[in-house]
Amino acid sequence: MSFLRRLNFLLRRRRAETDMADEMRFHLEQRAARLRAEGLSEAEARLAAQRRFGNTASIQEHSREALGLGALERAVKDVRFAFRQLARSPGFSLLAIVTLGLGIGANTAMFSVLNGLLLKPLPYPGLDRLERIYRTTGQNPLGGTSAPDFLALRAAKEPYGDVAAYLPVHVSLSRPGEPADMAYSARVSANLLRLLGVGVHLGRDFRDAEDTAGQERVVILSHRVWQNRFGARPDIVGQTVRVDGLPHEVVGVLPSSFNDWRHLGAIDFLRPLALTRAESTNRAVNALRVIGRRHEHVSAEAAAGFVAAFGARLAADFPEANAGSAWRAVALQDTAGGGGELVLPMLVCLSGFVLLIACSNLANLLLARTMARAREFAVRSALGASRLQLLRPLVAESLLLSLAGGGCAILSAHWFRDWAAMRSTGDNGEQVVFAVDWHVLGWAFLASLGTAVAFGVAPALFALRLDLNHALKSGGRGSTGGRGHHRFRQALIVGQFALAMVLLSGAALFIRGLDDLHHRRSGWESSSLVTGNMVLPAGTYGDDQKIAAFHRLALERLRAVPGAKSASLSAATPFFHWSDVRRFVVDGQERPAPGREPAAMVNAISPDYLATYGHRLVAGRDIDSRDQLGSARVCLLGESTARALFGEPHPLGRRLAVAAEGAPAWIEVVGIVSDFQTVDPDPNPVVHHVYLPLAQSPVRHVELAVRAAGVPPSALVDPVRATIAGLDADLPVRRLQPADATIDRTLYQLRVLRDLLAGLGVLGLGLASLGVYGVVARTTAQRSGEFAIRLALGACVADITRLVLGTGVRQALIGSALGLAGAAAVSAIIGASFPGIRTNSVAVLAATALGLVAVALLACWLPARRAGRIDAMAALRAE
Amino acid sequence: MAEKYELLPGTLDMLVLRVLSRSELHGWGITNRLEELSRSALQVDEGSLYPALYRMENKGWIEAEWRMTENNRRAKYYRLTRTGRKQLETETALWERMSTVISLVMQSA
Repeated sequence: MSFLRRLNFLLRRRRAETDMADEMRFHLEQRAARLRAEGLSEAEARLAAQRRFGNTASIQEHSREALGLGALERAVKDVRFAFRQLARSPGFSLLAIVTLGLGIGANTAMFSVLNGLLLKPLPYPGLDRLERIYRTTGQNPLGGTSAPDFLALRAAKEPYGDVAAYLPVHVSLSRPGEPADMAYSARVSANLLRLLGVGVHLGRDFRDAEDTAGQERVVILSHRVWQNRFGARPDIVGQTVRVDGLPHEVVGVLPSSFNDWRHLGAIDFLRPLALTRAESTNRAVNALRVIGRRHEHVSAEAAAGFVAAFGARLAADFPEANAGSAWRAVALQDTAGGGGELVLPMLVCLSGFVLLIACSNLANLLLARTMARAREFAVRSALGASRLQLLRPLVAESLLLSLAGGGCAILSAHWFRDWAAMRSTGDNGEQVVFAVDWHVLGWAFLASLGTAVAFGVAPALFALRLDLNHALKSGGRGSTGGRGHHRFRQALIVGQFALAMVLLSGAALFIRGLDDLHHRRSGWESSSLVTGNMVLPAGTYGDDQKIAAFHRLALERLRAVPGAKSASLSAATPFFHWSDVRRFVVDGQERPAPGREPAAMVNAISPDYLATYGHRLVAGRDIDSRDQLGSARVCLLGESTARALFGEPHPLGRRLAVAAEGAPAWIEVVGIVSDFQTVDPDPNPVVHHVYLPLAQSPVRHVELAVRAAGVPPSALVDPVRATIAGLDADLPVRRLQPADATIDRTLYQLRVLRDLLAGLGVLGLGLASLGVYGVVARTTAQRSGEFAIRLALGACVADITRLVLGTGVRQALIGSALGLAGAAAVSAIIGASFPGIRTNSVAVLAATALGLVAVALLACWLPARRAGRIDAMAALRAE
Repeated sequence: MAEKYELLPGTLDMLVLRVLSRSELHGWGITNRLEELSRSALQVDEGSLYPALYRMENKGWIEAEWRMTENNRRAKYYRLTRTGRKQLETETALWERMSTVISLVMQSA
């Protein structure tokens, strides 16, 4: 109550002051009026009234005290005093604020990433009951389900809740009369949006009737596509667009919240799932992604049990398709991190290290300031100031500094957000939303307060322990603080270097690993390649004959492009893992149990694929024009695949078949291809490679590649685009660019992470070296008298230099050694998050430690040199 | 003019509370009423009256309101609160006990 009153008074302070003055004036006037009535003159009456009342200012002062304003007034005074103190040494203040701004800023920025990726819930109501349902197999722990399995689940869903499915597909999207463009669509069961709890921004949701084959020519556009490709036209609903060449009606637009990068954000538009008869009976394709919403009374455990039991039943009923698979449900929010579950907390932790280094720097600086003011404290204490009164301005100073730093941090978090938004924009324009929300602001505020405590309290405690007598007597001359202070500062330096070592080695290991990945291009050559991909619309290219004919024609024309050495079409490129994984049985070997057959990644390739990508044909023959639809089925095998499947290096003429029910359709091995590695950071559990002729298994989605000879690959982009447009104006080529650009783009997330780590490392190193420089420089300056005596007694300049260097470098060495443990932990986390990246490099760690010590040497060298140049006579006279 | 007495220390609060328990008054009014009731024997130190008023307001014994006087001047009127009334009772009881004890000692010694 009384606190509130005080607060109220503080808030209405001006008002209260005038009230007080008014009240007292009223009193004086009344008194004067009475005295006048008693016969005094106007002036006499006023003077007498004032005399009787006393000193108004002093009474007001007492009144304020009575109102409980003393403490607040004192606090205001402390802050003002702290302001003046800080303003008196602008260099120190600026350095402190910038250091803190960087430290807290880095931390806040990292936290905003963590917040955006992991902490912030997906924008779906009732999120806690939404689950992703996976069909886990040996190859893929996050596998999809087949259409008949989904239909069975939907039929049996009652004890669970509701289920929906979606199927992402690349298609072409065009408006009548305009060139087509590639788009990323999802075929969704009609209840998906209802299940997620997402309403449409414009138009309407899908109707259940539209979820049947033949009725599905309707689309719901994403907010992003509506804005970017259709100019946010309000009359979009009811318009016709062409999807893969077929007219579809736009029935709705999704809300902008659906653009969330973490879940479905890359989707350009939705279409009804509308499974065809063939699809709904095909158990071999497990591509549907299933999302479920539990009934309110069904617990997560019960739901998990239901899903697992359902999977087990499928595996028992259809062993051919489902042996070895298991079903599981994972909370939808937990699937949304993009794999950053370990790395992001690590980044926040590392940025915390930067902040710690900044804090210990400031603690050192403030400690030095406090020591320099020891005499002032002693005098004030001798004059009767209590310890509390001594401490208050110090604490106020550090609070002011850290709040200013926090302000800088919010600014830098803001800038960082723009940078991160730019760097994290996906291929399709989907974005992570790094809102500077109250979570982030709260974090910045907490970090500032924590910082103030961390760097303000230590020097303040030392100030309390000051030996006043000693300080007065010694006259503040040549003091470097006592032994305790010295040790404390050394510990701070050691700690700084340990933290810097962790930061730097983390960054170095990651940079090294990424570099490794980037240059791991064994088995293929990309520097003179142009690549792109396209999808032949089902409307125009209805059957295999038409697709194969187009492929043939396209290859002919591409080869004829001036500057092209060779060209190929294929289902996949060797840069990344192939998504088509099938199980194989080998002719002449005992057939393993269903689901236990060896798995291999399958690529469908045109003639010249090997030459275009720079693979080597080890034995046998390449795919060529003999291999056509209807001719004898043939394949090529990777070198190690051949050895693993057949037990011999060149099993030419032997046969294998895709594992399926019924009699195997044998495929003859005609050639062996050299092994290669992809740049994918995730290792693939499937290692075998099987190449089929594209002509014998025509696919609509193909990767085209053209090898340039004599011209840079970028010069081929336009001619290639023109060539394809000349064949079919409605056919867009997506991501047509030099292959290296495509590869770079794919690794960009890792590169963002690398930049972040490198930034933190450099920041940490800079702050730590600044810290060691500051401490060594100050101690050196304070020891100039000692050095002068040493010089006068015959020490040479080199001795002094060595003495100064020794102190700083020793601490850097100890710190780096301690930091190695942390570096090992960081390396382990990176290793666990990116199994494809090699992170345990002793050489890198050694080089980092050396670099750190070198920087420490440099930071100590500057003051050491100055120490050696002391004019001994001048320094001694100054004493 | 009658002889004037300084207030005994610690009694100002009690007297102000007592005066306010009868009517709502402004600071000037309190001064007058005290002098009037004491038949001008008590001289209120105006310098300590206002800090005392603010202190009691802060403690919640009295509350204040700006109003117009009969002469149409703006003035701050103080009023006793429920806690103030209780405080007055306590202080009165204490004062009575104290003065009894003191006179007892003074008479018998």
